[in-house]
Amino acid sequence: MIGILKSMATTMKHALDGSTFTVEYPETAPDVSPRFRGVHKFSQERCIWCRQCENVCPNDTIQIVMDDQRNGEQYNLHIGQCIYCRLCEEVCPVDAILLTQNFEFTGDTKHDLVYNKEQLKAVPWYKDIDPLESREPDRGAWIGEGDGEVDYQ
Amino acid sequence: MIEGTLIQAGDTVLLPERIGDLTGLDQFGLAGELLAAFLAAFIVGNLMLAMTGVAGPWAKRKITAAFTDRIAVNRLGPAGLLIIVADSVRLLSKENIIPENADRPAYDLAPIVVASSALLGFAVIPMGSGIHLADPEVGLVFVFAVAGIASLGLVMAGYSSANKYSMLGGLRAVAQNVAYEIPLVVTGMSVVIFTGSLQMSEIVAVQNQPLVDFGLFAIPAWFAIVNPFAFVLFLLANFAEVGRNPFDTPEAPTEIVAGYQTEYSSVYFVLIYLGEFLHIFLGGAIIATIFLGGPAGPGPEALGIVWFIIKIWGVFLLTQWMRSAVPRVRVDQLIEIGWKGLLVLSFANLILTAIIVGIIQ
Amino acid sequence: MSTELEPQTPEVTENDLEALIGDRALRRDDHLNAPGFVIRPDDVQDVLFDLRDEAGFDHLSCLTAQQYEDRYESIYHMKKYADPTQEVSVVVPTSVDNPVSQSAEPVFRTADWHEREAFDLVGIDYEGHPDPRRILLPETWQGHPLSKDYDQEQPQVVTLAEHANPIQPDHHDEESDTMFLNIGPHHPATHGVLHVKTVLDGETVVDIDPDIGYLHRCEEQMCQQGTYRHQIMPYPDRWDYVSAGLLNEWAYARAAEDLADIEVPEYAQVIRTMGAELCRIASHFLALGTFCLDVYGDFNAVFQYSFRDREVVQDILEDLTGQRLMFNYFRLGGVAWDLPEPRDEFIEKARDFLDELPAKISEYNDLVTGNEIFQVRCNDTGVLEPDLAKSYGCTGPVARASGIDYDLRRDDPYGYYENLDWDVITRQGCDNYARVLCRMEEVEESAKIIEQCLDLLEDWPEDDREIQANVPRTLKPDPDTEIYRAVEGAKGELGIYIRSDGTDKPARFKIRSPCFHNLSSLEEISEGDFIPDLIASLGSLDIVLGEVDR
Repeated sequence: MIGILKSMATTMKHALDGSTFTVEYPETAPDVSPRFRGVHKFSQERCIWCRQCENVCPNDTIQIVMDDQRNGEQYNLHIGQCIYCRLCEEVCPVDAILLTQNFEFTGDTKHDLVYNKEQLKAVPWYKDIDPLESREPDRGAWIGEGDGEVDYQ
Repeated sequence: MIEGTLIQAGDTVLLPERIGDLTGLDQFGLAGELLAAFLAAFIVGNLMLAMTGVAGPWAKRKITAAFTDRIAVNRLGPAGLLIIVADSVRLLSKENIIPENADRPAYDLAPIVVASSALLGFAVIPMGSGIHLADPEVGLVFVFAVAGIASLGLVMAGYSSANKYSMLGGLRAVAQNVAYEIPLVVTGMSVVIFTGSLQMSEIVAVQNQPLVDFGLFAIPAWFAIVNPFAFVLFLLANFAEVGRNPFDTPEAPTEIVAGYQTEYSSVYFVLIYLGEFLHIFLGGAIIATIFLGGPAGPGPEALGIVWFIIKIWGVFLLTQWMRSAVPRVRVDQLIEIGWKGLLVLSFANLILTAIIVGIIQ
Repeated sequence: MSTELEPQTPEVTENDLEALIGDRALRRDDHLNAPGFVIRPDDVQDVLFDLRDEAGFDHLSCLTAQQYEDRYESIYHMKKYADPTQEVSVVVPTSVDNPVSQSAEPVFRTADWHEREAFDLVGIDYEGHPDPRRILLPETWQGHPLSKDYDQEQPQVVTLAEHANPIQPDHHDEESDTMFLNIGPHHPATHGVLHVKTVLDGETVVDIDPDIGYLHRCEEQMCQQGTYRHQIMPYPDRWDYVSAGLLNEWAYARAAEDLADIEVPEYAQVIRTMGAELCRIASHFLALGTFCLDVYGDFNAVFQYSFRDREVVQDILEDLTGQRLMFNYFRLGGVAWDLPEPRDEFIEKARDFLDELPAKISEYNDLVTGNEIFQVRCNDTGVLEPDLAKSYGCTGPVARASGIDYDLRRDDPYGYYENLDWDVITRQGCDNYARVLCRMEEVEESAKIIEQCLDLLEDWPEDDREIQANVPRTLKPDPDTEIYRAVEGAKGELGIYIRSDGTDKPARFKIRSPCFHNLSSLEEISEGDFIPDLIASLGSLDIVLGEVDR
């Protein structure tokens, strides 16, 4: 009996202190940490069409089309299929593909979620957080360092 | 401060008569009286339905949210109150899916039986401010009787849905209601020993005599104060009767999906859902009437209905509170508590009360 | 019941094993983790009985089945509960034309489900198996997906079978009747898409048969198609997807690092240890919350409170790894990132959480474990005796609540655990209540570990913060090496078997899921109980169907 009353007192205490843990989402967006991996942003200016990202992608989310002179024509990324592992960003030697913090994207059909390079370019920074900044200290650990065997395929 | 709310049994003016007076319907003989009675019933029924309407889609969410540190509905209207409208439209516009093998007349009747049995009970409850539909000699028995009809509805819903989960829920509902109806009635009887009458107005009147008078204020002879033991027993039995934690086994969503109401959708679901809330409120009304002095409270007599509704909502709040913190007992434990615990205690209470009352008088 | 504080079993040397198996060993086939003995398919029971009873290998950790060009192979990975560093692999080759092998089910109950899976996916028949059905795929499936000659393009017709009452004929008399009830795959309390075929006598459960495979996503095959270096790591997060991600990643990392002989910097090990324990806390909070959902009913506050507290942990993990559930934070040879800058802020945030934890735990104790109705509901229900738990291969909190003192973090040390001060929680209750208490106490132990890790990280010299070893981008382990390695996941022993064939992708990747074993014991612990106890027992086993079905 004491235990039951204690349980009831506990929940009543929460009811009376009036504090809430949840937030009203669109008005108060929860904090997104700088490292958060959201939808991709692509920079055609930087891309050297090395196709490393296409190669490393675990589930063929990225598709690149090039002409016979190895000039890039298309860069398609199915953000509905993507598992947000960040491996494409990790292998990219020139930071041409980045995962922004932006998690707010929708589509009416799954075809809407296939982004081409123009759409990927237009993805905005989330709350002006530049993902590169937060990743700065450890960049050495994941781009182009190490004297091991490098396989450019 | 208890003053001026003393209602003398016998000379209560019931709502149908008052409406008859006001509208002049009483001049038309039986037909007029009937019409006045319908009008009165309409008012009371709608009052109760409005309360369940507030409770189901809105208050319940808000209360649960308060217990769990959340915000809950707040987008539509002030404090989210318009969710009531939105939810009604949503629920009523859904397709009413009826299982292929459902036993039709029973399947259709069950929601109506569940909802109407609870509504009937309010007929004899004195709600203060002159809202009292009928005051038969056997008011208390009538309330218990019509509230008991709900079990029939639950069984009908359970077996006619042609669903094994519904079946289990229906069976649990019967077992539970049989086990807890008896302690409920027996505990109610201990009140009757005090009042010597089954008439609701009489029961309320007796409670409003002062128990101890301190001059400036008096403690009224509410039976919750006179006999707190019976009050607790009655509250417990009532939880089982309305199927709320710790005795919510007939629904037990994590065990048997939703019990007897698994297959109901759309309008039928609304009816069952309303019926459940009506039963909680009826339970609250019975508790308020026979233990908490009915509509009594400080202030002028016209405020009676306010006090009455506050008391009902108090009981509703308690059920929600229990839901947040008390686990559900297992079905065999439930039956055990009912037959071996509450039944014995309620009879002990009855006998003890009888002896004490006998000595005092 | 026996307490499990037996004296450590003496080390069984390879010579002892050779003597014990004797002529039955056709040849040796050693794995990186254990000596391996190749035996004939009709000696299986004989050898396993001897290993269990004479040499003390009482834990059939895993069964891996695979097909080579010229043979099928079943590998029984055996360990000891008392000392899991003592391992032995029993390799049973069978011919391609007639893949029949003796069943190990009479020796270990857990072989039942494992052999069904091996039959289902690879196509080996086990002679004497009591229940030779498919387990993950539908009954009507044609072919065995992991066998060499399987045609992936072949259309499959899956019919919706009506389920019959399996014990109707034996239990039908005039007085009582039994009812067949499908609990799941869509049911509020099956924690995912589990289908339990239940036969009821009134409210009493007389027979159950868990039907799994609804969430089978070919995780093993996906890992076989990914490269060691990068492409496998994102997937472990998706096995036990309720916030145990880093623990799962560690299972793969440990196996692959040992396979490719990669040394992990100490600093990275500390970060790994801290992250993994945060995941354990989050996972145990979820287990507590969902268990209370089963016992309390909806609208209960415990569920919401535990989700609220788990949220805090997830925030910390998000700061660290960049994701809330699908972390992909470990890399072979270390971790992807150092602590986020500013470090002080992160450390303070984590410390704040740890500081508030005792108050929260005592609140849970008030709400849950102290509640008399909760005790009445959970005591002596779902009783899992230690011997049975061992036979089913149960591990993790389920085993520890049955008094089995088995925790790979201590018994088969990895990471930074051996340098830290913490305890393994065991309880003797064997019931649902003990399992809940065990998890709650483990949360406190995990908090202790995190506390120490934070201290270490704070004082770590700045010029020595190496988070990744130097690992080549393309990793090709030596051909024909095999390894089986396990870590202590949130639910128990999570093991990975990898066979390399010299390419940059594994030739066989097998996941030993703790939930798979724990769930298989459900039948034993809930028959004869009431429906509510079946639901509670299922909740207390804390299964995640993503990991059961893989």
